[in-house]
Amino acid sequence: MSKVVGKGTELTGNKEIRIAMVDIDFRRRLLETSGAERLMLCHQCGTCTADCPVAKYVEEFRPRKIARLAVYGQKDRLLGGDIIWLCAGCYTCYERCPEQVQVSEIVSTLRKIALKEGIIHPTYRALMKNIAKMGYIYEIDDFENEMRGDEGLPNAPEPDTNEIEAIMRKIGFLDLLGGH
Amino acid sequence: MRYAFFIGCTTLARLWGYEVSTRQTAKRLGVELVDMPGSSCCGTTYLETLDHMTAVAVAARNICIAEEMGLDIVTICNGCNVVLTKANKELKEDSELRVKVNEVLTEIRRRFKGTIKVKHFVKMLKEDIGLDKIRASVERPLKGLRVGAHYGCHMLKPSDVLLYDDPEAPTTLDELIEVTGAKSIAYPNKLECCTGPIMGIREDVTWRVGLEKVETVKKYADIMVTACPFCYLTYERCQLMAEKSPDVPIVHYPQLLGLAMGLDYEALGIESNKIDASRILETLNFR
Repeated sequence: MSKVVGKGTELTGNKEIRIAMVDIDFRRRLLETSGAERLMLCHQCGTCTADCPVAKYVEEFRPRKIARLAVYGQKDRLLGGDIIWLCAGCYTCYERCPEQVQVSEIVSTLRKIALKEGIIHPTYRALMKNIAKMGYIYEIDDFENEMRGDEGLPNAPEPDTNEIEAIMRKIGFLDLLGGH
Repeated sequence: MRYAFFIGCTTLARLWGYEVSTRQTAKRLGVELVDMPGSSCCGTTYLETLDHMTAVAVAARNICIAEEMGLDIVTICNGCNVVLTKANKELKEDSELRVKVNEVLTEIRRRFKGTIKVKHFVKMLKEDIGLDKIRASVERPLKGLRVGAHYGCHMLKPSDVLLYDDPEAPTTLDELIEVTGAKSIAYPNKLECCTGPIMGIREDVTWRVGLEKVETVKKYADIMVTACPFCYLTYERCQLMAEKSPDVPIVHYPQLLGLAMGLDYEALGIESNKIDASRILETLNFR
């Protein structure tokens, strides 16, 4: 059945959720975070999953199921594994959700909560650290500028990394990212 | 007409053909694209999902640079387009957020004022230059060339933020392709996402999603045209990673426009595209 099986298959299988296991506190935390306000209006129509370009190939990525698990506050199943990092942010479900629940926004909210719990995908962490350190997601230095020159292009703008670091430090984002 | 030119990391670092063709075609249309000193990465669509305040503040710093230049921003990356447009809109509309962000920006002696607009290059062409003027710049109509247009999600969506074209049935890029004399063909799943943003999480998925679209386009068109560095890389790389030899050239929109303007093939950086487009262009005598 599964076409592409990867890490973090927390959404696969028919694990039951007992009423006693519903985590009301986690759900409340979600509902209070900007983006997930309309979560409780999800009536499981499945438009999100049907139109999701990632769900087409990744059996364990089911936006409808993410919404259901969020309603039940299933923190571990949502934040464990790669599930919340597999959303491409294409906004197809955002545009087409008949109740404007917008699972893409639920996923964003889950990522924000994950980061506060010290959980972040290594690819995300690496890119964010690059922005803090270099001002770009990749190194754009003498080598790149030389190649750009060969194409008749000017040097790339030199980001003021002190300013970017100051912003991130002031907000506390660097602490959330962890490490140095 | 002058704009602050926000190029974006991926184009700056590796897609010089995209940048050089944008600069060339803009110049031909009398548009001056002014580099933004000290500007950085927009923050990426990733950052926005991790921490709202940081995302808005990093975007605001870039917007401040354009405000100081007194120019609207033009960007050639869909990711930068959505990140900067969203932050700009939120900061203009939400005074509480604006106060908080300006408090952070005080640290670096900057201040968001809300005086400029952000737009994608494609939107600028259609709205500020206009199809008639672009048509008038065409010296060598690309008659006979069949093009599969790929808009890319963040040129259109979220539609309540970008407020541009119809997210389910857009026409801008098709119109801009057709003014070159080429034919923008209809094909199934034209608006489907490239899934480039999960390339760094599960590249196997991105390659499969990419190849499916490329194979579809191949049935109807000679080349595929994009207006975003991530979409471009997805459709180019998925073919390079596949076992069979790549056969659908991916071309940046300004390269197509430049060809129609009669600009030099080499000067448009088409040779730096990794999937050779010369075979098709030579067949049609466009080289």
